[in-house]
Amino acid sequence: MKQEFMMKERNNNIEAQVAKTMKLLDEMKPLEVNHFFRARLMQRIEREFGLEAKQTHAVAGNRFVFRLAFFALLIVINLGATVLSVQQNKRWTTSVSGISEMLDKLSDDYTSHEFAYYDQSSTYTSETVSTEIQTP
Amino acid sequence: MASKEESFRYLVAEHQEMVINTCYRFVFNREEAEDLAQDVFIEVFRSLEQFREEAKLSTWIYRIAVTKSLDHLRRLKRKKRFSSLKRIIGIEDPSAEIAAPCNDNPAEAYAGNEQAAILQEALGTLPESQKTAFLLSKQEGFSNQEIADILKTSVSAVESLVHRAKKNLHDKLFAYYTQQ
Repeated sequence: MKQEFMMKERNNNIEAQVAKTMKLLDEMKPLEVNHFFRARLMQRIEREFGLEAKQTHAVAGNRFVFRLAFFALLIVINLGATVLSVQQNKRWTTSVSGISEMLDKLSDDYTSHEFAYYDQSSTYTSETVSTEIQTP
Repeated sequence: MASKEESFRYLVAEHQEMVINTCYRFVFNREEAEDLAQDVFIEVFRSLEQFREEAKLSTWIYRIAVTKSLDHLRRLKRKKRFSSLKRIIGIEDPSAEIAAPCNDNPAEAYAGNEQAAILQEALGTLPESQKTAFLLSKQEGFSNQEIADILKTSVSAVESLVHRAKKNLHDKLFAYYTQQ
């Protein structure tokens, strides 16, 4: 009986402790905001977002420089390619004109009067052969 | 930018008290609560343009405050676990000892008594949804509807969460004091 009473007493004590501990949350007084809270916050925002904005500007600037350099490189490559192709065309046309001159010369040589003789002779020989066949 | 900053200043002035006190309920420490509140407003500033008016602006801000506070508690838990693991292995961590009085047990820093630490410990063992609903219900200014909006749930669910949290907390504290 006494033990039961003591047990009950102990439980009551524990319950009281539990209630007291849980009451702490109800007793927590709301905090008053520090006067510097907003100032510090705005400073932090200025620092973090100002820096971010600067970084984005720097990145954008770098991108622009890279693009400009790339375009300049493309232009140089294009100009170089154009100059090279023009030079090659020049050389080709000169060589082509040389060949055509040579061909003209050759054709002139073979169609000249001197070569006309061989043409005639060939017709002559063919005629003599045919007469020789016919005679017997 | 200037008008954005101006409206943001107004927003901070309007909600700073609620945000700081919401964080304070979770961490039991003024300095940590203010640091968390700063993080909350930085997040708000960063993503204010992405805010879709599905909920009230205040609900959205308090939701961020709750998320940040829970993240902070999770980090502390991890840190505590890691430092105890280090202790078991036998590696001394001097930084943990320096930070211990303030960070590892903010309840002691707040009340300066054992009871607050015990309460903080018991709250830490509750499921996050129960803990959040219970702590918000203890804060002035939050109706059950507002808590339901912050937790994206129904009022009846909030009531159930608060009831279960109270019971769990009671049981845990009772068990703790019985062992003493």
